[in-house]
Amino acid sequence: MSDIVQQGAAPRTVARRGLTPTRRMLQIAVGRMDFRIGFVGFVLLVGLSFLLPLISPIDPIKIAYSSKLLPPFPAEGWRWPYLLGTDQLGRDVLMRCLVGLRYSLLIGLTTVILMFIVGCSLGLYAGFRGGWVDAVIMRLTDAQLSIPMIILAITILGVSRPTVPAIILVLGLSGWPLYARVARSVALGERNRGYVLGERVLGASDLRIMVLFVAPVVLPPIAFVAVLDIARMMIFESILGFLGLGVQPPTPTFGNVIADARKYLLNAWWIATMPGLFMLVSLTCLNLMGSALERARNAVLRGEA
Amino acid sequence: MSDPILAVSNLGVDLQREGRIKRIVDNVSFALQPGEVLGLVGEAGSGKSVLARALVRAIAPPLEIVSGKVVFEGRDILSLDPRALARVRGNRIGFIGANPMGSLDPRLPIGQQIVEKLRSVQPEIGRAEARDRVLDFFGRVRIPSPSARFHEAPFQFSGGMMQRVMIVDALVSDPSLVIADNITQPLDVTVAAQIIRLIDGLRQSLNTAFLFISSSLPVVAQLAERTLVMQRGQIVEQGLTSELAANPRQPYTRTLLSRIPPIWKDVMAPTATDGEAVLKVDNVVRTYFVRRRGSFNAYNQVQAVRGVSFTVKAGENFGIVGESGCGKSTLTRLLAWLEQPDGGRIAFLGKDLSHLSAHSLTEMRKSFQLLLQDPYGSLPAGMPLLRMIEEPLLIHGFDRAEAARRAQEAMIEVGLDAELAHRLPVGLSAGQRQRINIARALVLRPRLLILDETLSALDQVEQAELLDLFNRLQATYGFSYVFISHDLALVRRMCHRIAVMYLGRIVELADNTTLFEQPHHPYTRALLSAMPTLEHNHFPHTRYLLDGEPPSPIDLPLGCSFRSRCPRAENDCQKTDPPLLALAGGNYAACLHRHEKETADVE
Repeated sequence: MSDIVQQGAAPRTVARRGLTPTRRMLQIAVGRMDFRIGFVGFVLLVGLSFLLPLISPIDPIKIAYSSKLLPPFPAEGWRWPYLLGTDQLGRDVLMRCLVGLRYSLLIGLTTVILMFIVGCSLGLYAGFRGGWVDAVIMRLTDAQLSIPMIILAITILGVSRPTVPAIILVLGLSGWPLYARVARSVALGERNRGYVLGERVLGASDLRIMVLFVAPVVLPPIAFVAVLDIARMMIFESILGFLGLGVQPPTPTFGNVIADARKYLLNAWWIATMPGLFMLVSLTCLNLMGSALERARNAVLRGEA
Repeated sequence: MSDPILAVSNLGVDLQREGRIKRIVDNVSFALQPGEVLGLVGEAGSGKSVLARALVRAIAPPLEIVSGKVVFEGRDILSLDPRALARVRGNRIGFIGANPMGSLDPRLPIGQQIVEKLRSVQPEIGRAEARDRVLDFFGRVRIPSPSARFHEAPFQFSGGMMQRVMIVDALVSDPSLVIADNITQPLDVTVAAQIIRLIDGLRQSLNTAFLFISSSLPVVAQLAERTLVMQRGQIVEQGLTSELAANPRQPYTRTLLSRIPPIWKDVMAPTATDGEAVLKVDNVVRTYFVRRRGSFNAYNQVQAVRGVSFTVKAGENFGIVGESGCGKSTLTRLLAWLEQPDGGRIAFLGKDLSHLSAHSLTEMRKSFQLLLQDPYGSLPAGMPLLRMIEEPLLIHGFDRAEAARRAQEAMIEVGLDAELAHRLPVGLSAGQRQRINIARALVLRPRLLILDETLSALDQVEQAELLDLFNRLQATYGFSYVFISHDLALVRRMCHRIAVMYLGRIVELADNTTLFEQPHHPYTRALLSAMPTLEHNHFPHTRYLLDGEPPSPIDLPLGCSFRSRCPRAENDCQKTDPPLLALAGGNYAACLHRHEKETADVE
């Protein structure tokens, strides 16, 4: 019995050693329960938000006074197919939430990718080169950080039209300095490490060292924080929507749905609560995945797997 | 024989981790007489430090004392109640560790910390009296101007001075036993020799017993009358130190002794082959500017390297030795062209590196490589081994298949297991990591390898293996090596010619035999004299050992920079800074005075 187990175990460890670190990290993350829960929840929500509005006959912006203010499913007076009830204009809350989630995810993800690319490359360059390059880039981040996000949003979105690209631009502008700062501080520490000196002696160019050696050390921890930042950006998107600076009605977003539903909070609580619930669930799933990824990475780098 | 002050019997300490029990200290018994110095040697991991901590019951889980007795001054320490224990620890038993910086609070003045310690173990002593006592001890360990340094913070002390402070800290309560755990390990060789001499003097005047722990038998032999040899938690041999060194009875002791490299007895100094000049360093200068504290725009000049010149020939091993702060590391960075010199020139294969274009410099880098000291930091953590060794080839534009083939060859050549090829460096030993570094340098087929303390992180066995590897590679490819090291024994074994550096300058440059047997410069003699060795030292401490510490490279004394410590400085040394003067046999020394007489009567 025992030698069967050993025979089975030996080739597996060899196979695992052949994998790249990134693959191993993902493997460990997938093996974790919190990642699985987050992943399943997130995929379900994303799938729903992209598929259901396509196949369902219900139009999220079609007004129907006959069916206004219907309560959600178990409550008395609900009506099929309005599972989560309807709002003050008789529009289906579920459908509106899903469309809102779609915009929220789209904007959150794009913003984070944009911030990550711009912030990290500038920060990495500043930290690695040092000197006046560093000084200029860091003063730029100072300048950017001194402008509050809301003021920036009102200025840009108020002057131009609040379209999706404009919203992404505003959020990205206010977020990149953080990434630049973190990337710079880590790159500063790596600049004089032994392996960088070793590469220099071998004759590698600065760009090669930065992209091939410093970036893989510096970026993954930031990338995992970035997964958590998607959640933050989704919240900002709804704040903008709440203030009327987000995607404009009649397109539903979490922000403008909640803003409109405030007036009905006492007698139709579900209109404002349902989008909040959707946000809560999707953000929780995102955060679960983010933290599981980070733990997996730590385990690999500590040599535990 | 009087009653022993410390009697240990059947002491056992276990390590419990994840349900497994490992015996760290196994059934140890020994006794220590009042005023005696007992040595304890053993390699890293043999349980020396755990034993030292068990003696004062400073053992915390996962470690646990499972058996035995430690009778100190008639009472068993292991069964004392906490209050009685507190009266013994730090009071009757003093402790000096290897990390003086970590044992002091960085915010408080040194003197105040020791006064506080003294009054906490002996509350009956008044503040003023405690202060006087600490000052008195500062004088006895020869800390210059004690009353001024009493008020200084730890960061203002050098490593050697800090270790003296720790000695005061241990001795100030007038203990009858002091446990000294590896105290010379972080120190430079001349400073370590001073500390040993100091302890030797103190114990004679104080009648304190010492348990002197070290991984090196020669270090212990300088002080201890009797020595215990420890292996895997057990005392395998004990006896008079001189006897132990002369006729060891146990195989383990013999192994320990055989690993001590010889300096004078039975050495074959390697002899140089005369080749073309590979590296020519000509009057190189490097000065750093450091902002002066408390000022806005004033800078201090740190003269790290001051006019160094030498030549390394093909197939030659060139050694550079010196203590910390002598400019070795800066010189390394200059040689590897990681930094450019402020003055002078470095020519490689006849080409001045500062005149090369970026492209030809990259091309040139193929032929000189640097091996760094730290085997852990010098490898990128997230890269498989084979890819790491391919890296230099990819940088220089080889295609992938060719690079992989040559990397695999190099792995075999340096003795790395082929099945490690796709693993990450995590979990590899220091020796294996240095082999990777050697392979990375090797694949480019360089002409010159610069070794910056490359072997200092390795134990004796690994060192010996790598030195053999270096010799083999040299025989195959005709490399030249530059060994930069503080380890004189290593240099003695490997190098054809050796330069001794002091405060950024070469003070003596001579062939191996001359440097070790007939050195000209007083500093070289001091270095040799400070070397702990079981052999008869040709340069006895009493005559050659230095006092004091090197002056700061920020304000160097006028004239000869060594004169502040030189035992034979004369008036003209204050005015003239001696250049490297040619001696017989192609050797050089930077000393104004010819010391034929002294040279003649080296013992």
